[in-house]
Amino acid sequence: MPELSELEQQLRALAAGIEWPATPALGGAVRRRITSTTPRSYARPWYERRWAMAAAAALLIAALLVAYTPTRNAIADFLNLHTSINRTNVLPTPSPLPPGPLGQRLGLGNRVTLATARAGVKWAIVLPSGLGQPDEVYLQSPLSGPPQGEVTLVYGSRPGMPVSGETGVSLLITEVRGNVSETFFGKIIGPGTTIEEVIVGGHRGWWISGHPHAFFFTGTDGEIRDETLRLATNTLIIDDGGTIVRIEGDLTKQQALDLATSLS
Amino acid sequence: MEGRPADDAELFVRAQRGSIDAYEEIVQRYQQLAFRTAYVITRSAAEAEESTQEAFVKAYRALGRFRAGAEPRPWILRIVANEARNRVRSAGRRQQLELRLAEGFRPGDAAPSPEAAAIASEERQRLLLLINQLDEDDRLVISSRYFLELSSEETAAALGIPEGTVKSRLSRALARLRARVEEAATSA
Repeated sequence: MPELSELEQQLRALAAGIEWPATPALGGAVRRRITSTTPRSYARPWYERRWAMAAAAALLIAALLVAYTPTRNAIADFLNLHTSINRTNVLPTPSPLPPGPLGQRLGLGNRVTLATARAGVKWAIVLPSGLGQPDEVYLQSPLSGPPQGEVTLVYGSRPGMPVSGETGVSLLITEVRGNVSETFFGKIIGPGTTIEEVIVGGHRGWWISGHPHAFFFTGTDGEIRDETLRLATNTLIIDDGGTIVRIEGDLTKQQALDLATSLS
Repeated sequence: MEGRPADDAELFVRAQRGSIDAYEEIVQRYQQLAFRTAYVITRSAAEAEESTQEAFVKAYRALGRFRAGAEPRPWILRIVANEARNRVRSAGRRQQLELRLAEGFRPGDAAPSPEAAAIASEERQRLLLLINQLDEDDRLVISSRYFLELSSEETAAALGIPEGTVKSRLSRALARLRARVEEAATSA
C-alpha cells in the first residue's frame, strides 16, 4: 500500500514513460493564419460584438442620423484626426467597466515607464506643463493598436481637476501618430453632447463636451476593440504637428485648451 | 522552469512589436507543452492539434495584453486550455483518453532481473490504468502536475481554477487514487 509520498514518487517516475501522441509542428500553420488578410477572429463587424450587441438597435438608428456625412469613414477623413464619430438620438447604456487595474480596464496597453514609452515610439511624446510627471504611463503595442503604437499618460488626481466618474482619474492624455486615412479612435455621441472646432497653436482640433459620450479604440484592422468601449467625459482632440493628442477629463474647455497649449 | 531558454522575455517583446519570426519561435518553443495539455483535456490528438493551433492564433491577437516580464507559460496554458475546453463542450461528447506507457519504458538506471522488470512494468501499467479511470477533475489535476509537470500556477491556469484550489484538489485526487490502488491490491 503506497503512502502518498511513495505514490507521488511512482507518478513522477511514470511521467517519463507516458506515450504522448507526436506533437505537430504548428509554427508554419500559425504563421499563415496570423499573416492572413482575413483572420478568423476578427472577421465579424464591430457592431456584432459583445458590448455593441446591447446597443445594436440604437447604433443602427445612428447610421441614419449621422449629423455630418453619410459614413463614419467619411467623417474620419473630414476630421483628419484618426477619429470616427457617429451621432445618435439615444446613447446606449454601456456595461460597467470591468474590475482590474486602470490600464486593463480601459484597454490602454502595458504599463511602462515614461522612458520606455519614449524608447518604444518614433515620435517625441509631449507632456503638459504644470502637472508634474504622469502617475502612470501605458504603451499600446502595434499588434492591438495603431501601427506605430500608442501612448497614454495618466494623471490620477490634480488640483482643480476633478476625478472623472468615467475613468477614475483626473486626466488621460493619449498620443498616437499615423497616416491620415487611419482611424484609431471612435466616438458615439448622443444629443446631450456638443462638438465644436477649435484651433490650438495653429493646429486644428475638436472639443467634445456635455453628456458623456461612448468612446472606443480601434485595432490595426480598423475594427472596434470592443474591450475598450466605454463612456468618456469631456475630450479635446488636437493634431499637434502630426501627433494626435487626445485629452480627456472633467475639464472646462479653457482648461483643456490651456493644457493643449502647454504641451511640449 | 529549469531548462527554459533565458530569452523568452525578449521574444515576447519582439513579438509585441510585430515580429512574426519571434512569435513563430514562441510557438515552436511552447507547442509541445500546449499540445499535450490540450490532449489531456480533449482526449483526442486531432482535437488537441486544432485547439492548440487556434489558441496560438488567439494568443497572437492577445499579445498586446501580455504583461511585459510576466511568465509566458501560465498565460499560454490558460489560452490553450480554454480553447480545448470550449472544443470539448461544443463537441458535446467525451472521448476515452488512455495515457499509455511507451513500450520498453523502464525508469531509473538499475538493471533489474527480467522477472522484477516484468512485475514493475505491470505495476506501472496498472497504476496508469487506475489514473485513466479516475473522475475528470482528479485525472486532470494528476496529469497536469505529474505527467505535464506543471507548477501550481500553471496547473491553475490549465484547469481554470484558483491557484489555492490546486493543492486541495490534488490532495483529494491522490487520496482517491491511493484508495483505488489499495483496493486493487487487496482484490488481486
